[in-house]
Amino acid sequence: MINKNIFFLALLIVGANSIIAQSIVIKNATIYNGLDNSPFTGNILIEDGLIKKVSESLIQGDKVIDVNGKIVTPGFIAPGTEIGIVEIGSLSVTRDDESNIYNIGFSIHDAFNPNSTLIPWNRSNGITSAITLPRNTSSPIGGLGSFFVLDSNLNVDSKQDMVMIGRIGGSGSSSRSEMLSLTDDILSFASSISSKDIRTNLDIDSLIDSSSIADYLELKPRDIKALYKLANENLPLIIKSNRASDILKLIELKKKYNLNLIIMGAQEATLVANQIADSKIPLIINPINNIPNSFDELAANKNLSSRLENAGVLMMFNYGSHNSHLMRQGAGIAVANGMSYGGAIRALTSNVASSFNLENRGSISPGKAADLVIWEADPLEPSSMPEKVFINGIDMDLTTRSTRLRDRYTRNLDKPNTYRD
Amino acid sequence: MHTTNIKLILLIALTSISNISYAEKAPFESSYEPLPYTNTIFRNANIYDGEGNEFSETDLLIKDGKIIAMGADLPGSSEFIEVDASGKWITPGIIDIHSHMGVYSAPSVSSSSDGNESTSPVTADVWAEHSIWTQDPQFALALKGGVTTFHVLPGSANLIGGRGVTAKNVQRNTINSMKFPNAPHTLKMACGENPKRVYGNRKQAPSTRMGNIAGYRKAWIEAESYLSRLVEYDSKSDEAKEIGYKPKRDLELETLAGVLRGEILVHNHCYRADEMAMMIDVAKEFNYKITAFHHAVEAYKIADLLAENNICAALWADWWGFKHEAYDMVQANVAIVDQAKNGTGCAIVHSDSEIGIQHLNQEASKALSAGIKAGYNISKARAMNWITSNPAKAAGIYKETGSLKVGKNADVVLWSKNPFSVYALAEKVYIDGAIAFDKNKELLPHSDFDIGILNPTKNRIQE
Repeated sequence: MINKNIFFLALLIVGANSIIAQSIVIKNATIYNGLDNSPFTGNILIEDGLIKKVSESLIQGDKVIDVNGKIVTPGFIAPGTEIGIVEIGSLSVTRDDESNIYNIGFSIHDAFNPNSTLIPWNRSNGITSAITLPRNTSSPIGGLGSFFVLDSNLNVDSKQDMVMIGRIGGSGSSSRSEMLSLTDDILSFASSISSKDIRTNLDIDSLIDSSSIADYLELKPRDIKALYKLANENLPLIIKSNRASDILKLIELKKKYNLNLIIMGAQEATLVANQIADSKIPLIINPINNIPNSFDELAANKNLSSRLENAGVLMMFNYGSHNSHLMRQGAGIAVANGMSYGGAIRALTSNVASSFNLENRGSISPGKAADLVIWEADPLEPSSMPEKVFINGIDMDLTTRSTRLRDRYTRNLDKPNTYRD
Repeated sequence: MHTTNIKLILLIALTSISNISYAEKAPFESSYEPLPYTNTIFRNANIYDGEGNEFSETDLLIKDGKIIAMGADLPGSSEFIEVDASGKWITPGIIDIHSHMGVYSAPSVSSSSDGNESTSPVTADVWAEHSIWTQDPQFALALKGGVTTFHVLPGSANLIGGRGVTAKNVQRNTINSMKFPNAPHTLKMACGENPKRVYGNRKQAPSTRMGNIAGYRKAWIEAESYLSRLVEYDSKSDEAKEIGYKPKRDLELETLAGVLRGEILVHNHCYRADEMAMMIDVAKEFNYKITAFHHAVEAYKIADLLAENNICAALWADWWGFKHEAYDMVQANVAIVDQAKNGTGCAIVHSDSEIGIQHLNQEASKALSAGIKAGYNISKARAMNWITSNPAKAAGIYKETGSLKVGKNADVVLWSKNPFSVYALAEKVYIDGAIAFDKNKELLPHSDFDIGILNPTKNRIQE
């Protein structure tokens, strides 16, 4: 009797698996694979949530979707957002991006809300995953961001604490020189931490007691562990910085401490483009923003991305949180101002994956997660929308709260509005 | 009885006495003069005329700063510069009905943060033009996006924030020489979260939405009383005027009385549908007109009401979520407002952003795309009205600009491609027939701020 139940259970599991395992072929696609400059016409096989095969010749599958030459790209990856940790910007009760206790080791990971309305909205616009960052902490470097898959699954698919953030620039309260010195001191301290210093919390407490910088910054054990990870595990470090002279100082720090450095903002990067390229520092920029919004950003201009591309700098594009997807409008503007189309697609996809060690995402290649978007037209035209979005091989529903509200006020108008769907 | 009297007096004020002056001469008059213009003929252009029409392979003639003719194979002459517009597009100059350029200049620093006189919930006495920094480097960036005219408003901290100003995008070192000649003054009002937050945080009124409404009504009651005193004085005989006292000028009430007399246009920052409906009631109570609701993220919920009351809605294509009152964003908002009451709605795409103002054409494109997805049959030619003729109407300058009608100012943009594409760039921008920006000739104004600031021998932007 027991055996029989197990047998049925096994059947059920096999049955369930076979439904998930149903293979899908996207046929006749114009494929921008996120790597190459030019597209090719081909077919994509999705199985077990992965891209199994990409081929110019026909592929067999359980379900075939003929897209008649429409463009297919990898799902876009937003590299610097607050998706999942903020719902309404001005309402602090809906924000989970700050800590009063932790500093360098503050992680936003566990606050992530997979039911946030920002997720279906950005997904329906082609964003399939995002890196979510805390707000700046009191220390010039500190705060840990995580990578999240935007499939609205309560069982969150994430990569925890995979990046640290920081900032250097005009702050209005103290000199940038102080920030640079403090950053140098923190990094020096981080590189001095050995594995036996952090074996137990008691060990960490005694390290804190013996370190003036730890004492000064009131560091907690979590902060110490984060610094150890930064110094020893090649953790990407995003520094928000704009002024050309600050960028050069960051290049020095990268060399001194062998940092896996990424610079965000970088409005004056054109002035030091060759140095950035030589140092192999990826940038996160917003190509829409050409405003000299501070005295750190005087060189801001619309040709930033094309000039950086010419210098050989690797770029990622970002744009806020509620409308992170506008990074593709930014990509379109970058192309209008001289950037290559393939380069702009890479800035939305594989450049993010390679900069953040997201080995299984960011391109349409065998073995990668099947995060794919079928576009009704050119994805860099903001008027063009996704027709289908796949995340981990699952054909996602593209309904959003916004489309529901639209339909409520444009359909079934004979009913009172509160009785409409 | 009392209110009837006031309404009677107001009626007299609005109908029979057309020009009551309380200052001897209107202060701060425009001294705008156009740039040196060229007479130009554009050949074989694709054209959106800002009146809902599209033409292909059409010529456009501008002379003495005005639109002279539009049609196929217009005769040219040696007095016209010929511009080959084959494969390119021409539109009216873009107009932004909601800008803070000059009052929130770049760089964004405290020394030039001049948009909100947030010291009292009613500051109808302040004028945005008196805050404008004419060396703001943002004007030239907007010009590159095809913007020929913009309307600058005070911020939204106050219930009644002060007067707005309409300017030509011809950067000069005095604001009077940029002001759009004879454009009506406007009044900024604000609903909702901002005023109640700013003053509520100081434990003063308003701290609630009901406090907001009470605040507007109190201000309008003062304005009615002031206007009736003015009307009463003005209706006296010359002898009686000599022995009586002229009511003392009051800058705040002059502005509000200007609204009650229909001379100053109300531009009302308001997000929520229920609040917009209440503001319409306030306007009816005091017999003034709301020209446009701004931001109006929930306009789609009351689109018919707006159309019935002949009120425009100035909207973003897709901004949302930064405040609770901006949570119910629908991308088809612009289209739903446009199509209300058999297409009689007045929709405007605005920027409220020094970045957005540079690509209002793309914002209109997104709004159009969302409208089509919502099932509306809207042409690109009609969507062009959202950033040209409709904002011109809301700024009270439609007779002069906002479309390519013969006789209007030659405010014209030549685009490299269809302006609803992200890849389209403005190649030439004309204001009053004068070329203000020419991409290929690298003709671009630079503000004093841009000169030698990064490198003494260069300008700030090297493009």
